Amino acid sequence: MPRFLSAASTLTLLISSAASAGDAPATPAVLDTYADIAQATYEDSLTAANRLRAAVDALIERPSAQTLQAARAAWIAARVPYQQSEVFRFGNPIVDDWEGKVNAWPLDEGLIDYVDAAYGGATDENAFAALNVIANPTFQLSGETIDATEITPTLLAETLHEADGIEANVATGYHAIEFLLWGQDMNGHGPGAGNRPWTDYAQGDACTNGNCDRRAQYLQAATDLLVSDLEWMAAQWQDGGAARAALFENEGAGLTAMLTGMGSLSYGEQAGERMRLGLMLNDPEEEHDCFSDNTHNSHYYDGLGIQNVYLGSYVRIDGTLVSGPSLSDLVLASAPELDDEMKTKLAHTMQALGRIKTTAEAGLAYDQMLERGHAGGEALIMGGVNALIDQTKTIERIVTALDLDQIAFEGSDSLDNPDAVFQ
Amino acid sequence: MRLIAVILSALMPLCAAAQSRDAILTDVTQAHILPRFDHLVEATAALDATARADCAPGSADLRAAYHAAFDAWISASHLRFGPTEVGDRAFALTFWPDSKGFTPKALSAMIAAEDPAIADPDAFAETSIAGRGFLALERMLYDLAFADQGDAAYRCGLIRAIATDIHRTARAIDRDWHGYASILAQPGPDSPYRSSDEALQELYKALVTGLEFTADTRLGRPMGSFDRPRPNRAEARRSLRSLRHVELSLVALRDLAARLAADHPQIAAALDDAFARSIARAQALDDPALAGVAEPQGRLRVEALQQSINDIRSLAAAQLGPTLGISAGFNSLDGD
Repeated sequence: MPRFLSAASTLTLLISSAASAGDAPATPAVLDTYADIAQATYEDSLTAANRLRAAVDALIERPSAQTLQAARAAWIAARVPYQQSEVFRFGNPIVDDWEGKVNAWPLDEGLIDYVDAAYGGATDENAFAALNVIANPTFQLSGETIDATEITPTLLAETLHEADGIEANVATGYHAIEFLLWGQDMNGHGPGAGNRPWTDYAQGDACTNGNCDRRAQYLQAATDLLVSDLEWMAAQWQDGGAARAALFENEGAGLTAMLTGMGSLSYGEQAGERMRLGLMLNDPEEEHDCFSDNTHNSHYYDGLGIQNVYLGSYVRIDGTLVSGPSLSDLVLASAPELDDEMKTKLAHTMQALGRIKTTAEAGLAYDQMLERGHAGGEALIMGGVNALIDQTKTIERIVTALDLDQIAFEGSDSLDNPDAVFQ
Repeated sequence: MRLIAVILSALMPLCAAAQSRDAILTDVTQAHILPRFDHLVEATAALDATARADCAPGSADLRAAYHAAFDAWISASHLRFGPTEVGDRAFALTFWPDSKGFTPKALSAMIAAEDPAIADPDAFAETSIAGRGFLALERMLYDLAFADQGDAAYRCGLIRAIATDIHRTARAIDRDWHGYASILAQPGPDSPYRSSDEALQELYKALVTGLEFTADTRLGRPMGSFDRPRPNRAEARRSLRSLRHVELSLVALRDLAARLAADHPQIAAALDDAFARSIARAQALDDPALAGVAEPQGRLRVEALQQSINDIRSLAAAQLGPTLGISAGFNSLDGD
């Protein structure tokens, strides 16, 4: 059966690449494929988050090295579909407005739990950088006394998250959960990720670092919240859902949304904010999944999501292929050379990100690549950055070739430097 | 190439003849871009020489040289592509915003470790970008927290290393721009710019991104929200340059806009008026560090300045871009 499927999809590929100029798919069909992929990607993210929740429940009921390890593995698996969904962010306001709840980064993790002394305390920018809500059942926040005796999803979402209007006060989402499962990575540029002991969740005398019951409560609340947030987003992409409906309000704007998502994620967000900045600072914590050392995967699946949108295909976490008429088909019909250029550049990006991933999996973690003077690491990361910047140029050419409306911009609050443009 | 021809012919009716696009490209590179980087090299050479002669943080000469060189950079910093961007050079001149306090951290770490990289310009260029450039120098000259940190001789060496590094970066940018100018002015199939449209888009993008950065970041960050203004986030506030950067960037962008709109006198005049209004507002503000954002009255005035810059952005997006037949494309401000 798998063999048959792969033969069939090879055939489809052959047919679609043999298509000649002139038989463009209808725009609604292309938008349908896009929305189907978005729906499948968020549904998969939800499925994986439910598995993470089950693993977290097991950790809290039966704390042990094994249950902690299983929860970490579930978190890493959950990132695979979610990162592929990031390409839906920038073009779709409904996703962008919501995204901060689930994937906000970077964070001042001292807000949540204990940190090493070298982390420091409150900063000029953030008075709550070292609040440690797990150790403090009540505290002052912007002149108000907050009762956090019970740590609930509501407390995290409505009071703690972005407390005092500071984006680094990340109380919810994947990275808060990541910190609670791994703890700070104290290895600097050396090998190794965060190494939180399982006994941080042990009850009674075995509890390490204090407040194990509150830590468990926090982890459970954050995981529940992740699940409910993903449930909401998956529903927005179903038939009749708001995200899907918005896409079809104006077909040209729908195509622009697709390309905006691809370009903004490639350039400002991934190449700039997430990859080059860390390299410029040589800071081992300036990596996207800094507690778990899973950054190579985050970058890789971000890139894959961009390619999915262009090619109109996505492999679900159960192995099913979702595919249909694509942006690529549309470009091929009017500008075959440009379609070729886009496919080549996307493939090149995946190769560059793949090199980072394979090297990290072979033992050189992303934070080691960031070390000052590490020429090999720098070349690997810059390979990804340059490929992403290069593919953005072609995305811009497609916007021009399809005669779409001007791309609307999102402002940036963290990198915030108009390092505009291409060499 | 067939494709490019198709796009070009589709755009032709909308825009000026190709010959005048080439003239604009030549004019912008020769009269706007190159003089700015030439001047940056002169001003940073003076800074480097002054720091060698006198590294005392309170030195009037050193502070004057710092201001002059920083002025020259802000007046060119919207040209953040090509040679300016290679090797993160623009970041090496100003790493800002610094929302996680990387600059003080990087400097403290250098001082505490007495990092020997300050003795070798090549090694210094490999250190954290947050500890290099004008804002690192600002900390060393104006932040009391660094006045007596560590060893005085090391601090002096660090100030000199930063000044030398700034000059090296400026020289590298300027040298490469003298080669890159012809690439930008003469697009072609083997150039990064395949057509004069793509080259013009680059310059248009520099204009709108520069306006966006000044309105949303230079002004927007310290403004914060009405309930929670953030005066400490103002750019280069320790040396009282925050408002000056707004004004310098507007003056530079006004010149660029005028050159881009050269063939369209009405649009050029409208843009020039809008810039004049904005610059007058900035000059009337009398709030060098933008500290006034903390008071309702002061905030209102900064907001009015921001609005006047947004008016220029709207004008550029509604008139200049479409007339030139180009869109803004993607920039690095896209993202979080």
